[in-house]
Amino acid sequence: MNFSWRRAKSVAYKEYKHILRDPFTLAVTLILPMIFVGMFGFVIDLDYKHMRVAVRDNDQTSVSRRFLQEMASSGYFDLSPVHTPAAADRALEQNASPALLVIKRGFGRNIRAANPEKPAQVQLLADGTDNVQASIMGSYMQGVVQKANAVFMRDNPELAGGAEGAARLAGGQIRSRFLFNPELNSRWFIVPALSTIIIGFLAIVLTALTVAKEWENGSMELLLSTPVRPSEIVLGKLVPYFVLTFLDVLVVFVLAVYVFRIPFLGSFLFYMAACWVYITGALALGLVISVVTRQQQAAIQFAFAVGLLPSFIFSGFIFPIENMPAFFQYFTALFPQRWFLLISRTVFLSDAAPATLAAAFGAIGLFAAAMILLAVHKFKTDVEP
Amino acid sequence: MNKTDIVISVKDLTVSFGSFKAVDGVSFDVHRGEIFGFLGANGAGKTTTIRTICGILNPSAGSVTVDGQDVSRSTAVLKPRIGYMSQKFTLYPDLTVHENMRFAGSLYAMSPKQIDERSRKLMEFIGLPQNLPDPVSHLSGGVKQMAALASALLHDPELVFLDEPTAGTSPQTRAAFWALIRRLAEMGKTVFVTTHYMDEAEYCGRIALMERGKIIALGTPQELKEEFFPVKPLEISFSATVQHELREALKQAGIVSAVFGNNLRVRASDRAVLDRACAPFAGQFDVREVPPTLEDVFLQAVSGRENK
Repeated sequence: MNFSWRRAKSVAYKEYKHILRDPFTLAVTLILPMIFVGMFGFVIDLDYKHMRVAVRDNDQTSVSRRFLQEMASSGYFDLSPVHTPAAADRALEQNASPALLVIKRGFGRNIRAANPEKPAQVQLLADGTDNVQASIMGSYMQGVVQKANAVFMRDNPELAGGAEGAARLAGGQIRSRFLFNPELNSRWFIVPALSTIIIGFLAIVLTALTVAKEWENGSMELLLSTPVRPSEIVLGKLVPYFVLTFLDVLVVFVLAVYVFRIPFLGSFLFYMAACWVYITGALALGLVISVVTRQQQAAIQFAFAVGLLPSFIFSGFIFPIENMPAFFQYFTALFPQRWFLLISRTVFLSDAAPATLAAAFGAIGLFAAAMILLAVHKFKTDVEP
Repeated sequence: MNKTDIVISVKDLTVSFGSFKAVDGVSFDVHRGEIFGFLGANGAGKTTTIRTICGILNPSAGSVTVDGQDVSRSTAVLKPRIGYMSQKFTLYPDLTVHENMRFAGSLYAMSPKQIDERSRKLMEFIGLPQNLPDPVSHLSGGVKQMAALASALLHDPELVFLDEPTAGTSPQTRAAFWALIRRLAEMGKTVFVTTHYMDEAEYCGRIALMERGKIIALGTPQELKEEFFPVKPLEISFSATVQHELREALKQAGIVSAVFGNNLRVRASDRAVLDRACAPFAGQFDVREVPPTLEDVFLQAVSGRENK
């Protein structure tokens, strides 16, 4: 007796009825993504703006004031002048401001002199206990310095008198240009990645319960005494939850594009295909957990561990993979979250040809196939405890 | 009975869970069209045996064959022929009876029309109302059991396995169950049923008594009674004041006794021995012969084994 589509269809129809009869799960499944997206999209803003900086201006010239004006107008910094060294120390120690900017005496003179041997200098002392903010301040500060240089050159044509002079002022600086997300808007970066987290998590939890539930309430014993086969049960359980999870994908997509106005430049069809494959893999992983644990309590704990941790830690959602030690870079390749995150961010923000993502697509496809086979293979067909 | 009538053949079946032998070297045959009863206390190994025959548990040793085919190697062929009602309640509690039936039937490749027709007949016979609108979880225990039985019989299986089908149901429900079981046997189905109600065992064609993983007695109810009670058991009525002394005296004489209400039931192969033991209590007791019940047989079989 071979695989029967009809029996698989019966299982799917029964699962669909289970879903309809359980409004709580249904509501959670459809509302949770909205909460997630809302939370990450509105509340969590990784863009640093209006960082408080104490300023000790020892130069007190029109040039130094022009520099500070440039700094304030960037919008990244809120400046509060301090007038004594003691006040400057206090500002740092009491956490009133996370950074102190010191302009040395002779700043204006050095600018005017434009002597490469004696460059004009400012010093930024940033509180390293928040290293993220400190490094962001550092890079924003570079932007301010560049812009100030340009302003000084424009205001003082003498400085830019020769190509040599211009090169002297601007030379030796690194110039970064951010492609695809020129403002480094963190919302653009995070919201497309959210579908990875939400699907990865919800899909695993949804199916992790289904087989374990049948073992616990005894219906598995009956199923096993009928002609139904593990492959039919696995397929039958995948289909309804696939539809449910795909609704979540659409919810996240609509919120991202129409509420958060995140550009979607890539191939929609390719993105959908990637979603289908990724969902299938995550659902099948949930089934593997369910088939192996056979207990809802254990299954849900596994699902949380397997669904949440890699999504956040090994996907590149929070920690960039390029900065990981070599071993972990390879290790993350085992998790489909990493690959789908790459696909998701790329198709939202760039119009790169789908072919460039072939490897990532292949990886999630491989994962999905492996999980389905594993779920069928590990399916216990006798009731031995 | 004719050899070809053997449908289920169990040989030296052992099922172990770790070091625990739930079933320990059991052998028996079940004939086509008979009601085969399995009796025993909880934990005696009845459910393990029934699950092994249904092919959802693998034997550790020995074999189970149905029509000569090994069960564990030909499940695909055998499963459609088997109807199994588990001791656990196995219908989906969030679906209605009708939805449960539709699901169960479709796994046996029945069309919706066939399922509805068949379930209507079954329900009618068991006396269950049609089209209960509520999910199964809202139904009473007896109705649930009946629905589970109907679900197991839906695909008209020739081998029916019922694991304590009447546990916890009302006397009326039990009567309806047994009427259906007898009807099935009349139609030529083989029914394998476990129970711990001794009175139900009387309805069975043959019964096997199981105790701690072993079959300790096997035969028709009549055969078992004759085997264990070549002499009919005696019932002694006595005045309460002498109960302890009387029992002590019987024990001294090597006679097994059991208290049944205000009576003592004893099995004495030699009436003379009994009379001698009871002589000191003359006038305070009264002895008469009674027909043995299966309960007597069961107690006798268990205590006989323990004495060995």
